[in-house]
Amino acid sequence: MSSTVALPAHNTSSASRDILHSLLRVGLLPLLLLIVVVGTSLMSPYFLGWLNVLNILRMASFLAIIACGQALVIIAGGFDLSVGAVVALSSVVTAKVMAALSTALGGPELLVAVLGVLAGLGSGFAIGLFNGLCVSRLKVSGFVVTLGTMSATAGIGLLLTNGIPVYGMPNSFVKAIGRSQVLGFPIAIYIGLAIVMVIAFVQRRTLFGRYVYAIGGNQEAAVVSGVSIRRHLVGTYVLSGVLAALVGILLTALVGSGQATLGGDTMMLQSIAAAVIGGVSLRGGIGRVEVVAVAALFLTILSNALNLLHVDSRLQPIFLGLIMVVAVALDEFSRRRMSSV
Amino acid sequence: MSDVNLAAPADPSTVKAPDEKRSLGTEWLRQLALPIAVLLLLGGFGLADQRILSTYNLLNIAQQTSYLALFAMAQMVVILTRGFDLSLGPTVSMVSVGAALSMAAMGGADANGLLVVVAAILGGFALAGLCGLFNGIVVAFLGVSPLVATLGSMNITLGVATTISGGRPVQGIASSFASFFYTGTVFGLPAPIVIALVVGLVLYVVLSRTVFGRSLYIIGTNPQAAAVAGIPVKRLLVYAYMLCSGLAALGALMMTARTGSGQPNLGGTLSLQSIAAAVVGGTSLAGGRGGVGSAVLGALFITILSNGMNLTRIDGYVQMIVLGAIVILGVVIDRLRLETR
Repeated sequence: MSSTVALPAHNTSSASRDILHSLLRVGLLPLLLLIVVVGTSLMSPYFLGWLNVLNILRMASFLAIIACGQALVIIAGGFDLSVGAVVALSSVVTAKVMAALSTALGGPELLVAVLGVLAGLGSGFAIGLFNGLCVSRLKVSGFVVTLGTMSATAGIGLLLTNGIPVYGMPNSFVKAIGRSQVLGFPIAIYIGLAIVMVIAFVQRRTLFGRYVYAIGGNQEAAVVSGVSIRRHLVGTYVLSGVLAALVGILLTALVGSGQATLGGDTMMLQSIAAAVIGGVSLRGGIGRVEVVAVAALFLTILSNALNLLHVDSRLQPIFLGLIMVVAVALDEFSRRRMSSV
Repeated sequence: MSDVNLAAPADPSTVKAPDEKRSLGTEWLRQLALPIAVLLLLGGFGLADQRILSTYNLLNIAQQTSYLALFAMAQMVVILTRGFDLSLGPTVSMVSVGAALSMAAMGGADANGLLVVVAAILGGFALAGLCGLFNGIVVAFLGVSPLVATLGSMNITLGVATTISGGRPVQGIASSFASFFYTGTVFGLPAPIVIALVVGLVLYVVLSRTVFGRSLYIIGTNPQAAAVAGIPVKRLLVYAYMLCSGLAALGALMMTARTGSGQPNLGGTLSLQSIAAAVVGGTSLAGGRGGVGSAVLGALFITILSNGMNLTRIDGYVQMIVLGAIVILGVVIDRLRLETR
């Protein structure tokens, strides 16, 4: 089992190998990114248009926020299939609460908006807590638990709305969060950047971040070292749920209504794809959220480019699937070469 | 060791210490827990609505179960080896349109006789075989985790299914095909039930009486030990994934005959449903435990549950929540079983 809790290199040759490896790991993705960007901008005049760039950055921020949570869960050795459904649930809950408060209070829109956002985040917190408790207390596989909560959460979202979009949010909320810009960029981009930076810091400099690596790298060793496994596992799932809920709220503000169809399976699969392409190992213990964010940007640009180049939307999943498998196979390959020496 | 491991009497790890007299009673109880739950469920729904216990509906349940049972068996084969097949659902879609297209190429609804059935079967199984081969090679030889490998192939098969069909249903199912896989009867039993029974029996024999089957259990219980014991782990893993796709293809042909056209979205949620059925039946995600009996019982349980909820007019969204809860309950019970041993 390889672990990232960086051990000092034993000799120079393994140190140079490490450098080579990290070059391969970090270098491949920006290179691919560059190829797609340059290639597409040569072929389509719309690609580098300001509106399209903003659109890409906004979508990439949504994906990056969810993928950061997903990455933490995977690094700790788990899996969160429920993120897409949580996006939908938080969207519905936020819109419902805001609509209900607006009619009940009629009062200050700021209060209504804050309470609505808190309710939305709360729904993500609750689902994450449930996932985390099932995984840590009952010791069942995260994959299956979140498979179950995915179905249940999607069901609750649809049940609350009957599949009909929920309107009636305060206008100022939609304007301020969804459609306003600061220094020319939508607010979602700042939020995405801030979250990636904070989590990158948490991963490097906080006990929680280090313990998450330790748990994913070698759970027994973590237990023996006195790490409280349960608390930190619950923490990763809660964080993943809350981040997914945040994206649900941002999307709700963007489209101006609460919809049980937001997020869904596509978002869940893409968050896993971003994490995996971003170098997060499904064996746990390895991965950096800033690389994951770059992978999210890459995936968003790729699908945007395929759209602009008029590639049949039916063919697009094939690209995504192949890229995922190739990325992980390369990762596995380089790991084997490293461990065999 | 195992309690639901009906198909694995000779599994080396099932050998119990002879002094465990006390657990014999509870052992029986555990084996009978799911059958009893199935009967209770049937009785409970029967009290709520008389029609549920009518011969017509019981036959209907048996027929519906035969599809899910095939998919659950397919999933079980790879779960035995600590794997997963998330591409099962899209494979079903791909086989459905592939078979319909090959029938259309043979003359469509006008062409009858054995030849067109053979063409459909060949077309369907060829596509499924390729998908299984891809999954197997990526998992076994490239060392990619089954989750990512099949997540990738899920996207690819989805793309293939929608591309070759143009996203539209493919018409032109020959009546001989429909009679072979759907309308025909053997001794008064509908074809789907007969096919599922025959396949179940064959698979039971393969898993419990052949070297291949026994090896799958050993690979799932302890891959390293299997490799040391001289089992060609990689090759058998490829076979397991191909067997999984093949069984899924058979179910897909049966469903295509029932719907009367090749449907690019036939698979829908089948990946998750088949995993749910296998897990509820008692197939352990830790590998090495499970069998035909558990897969069929799990499929029966879920079919009765959804049939009963439909007939008692329980909201479809509530059904999603119930299904999620059942999946979580299934793994929790599986976990408790492992711990009390």
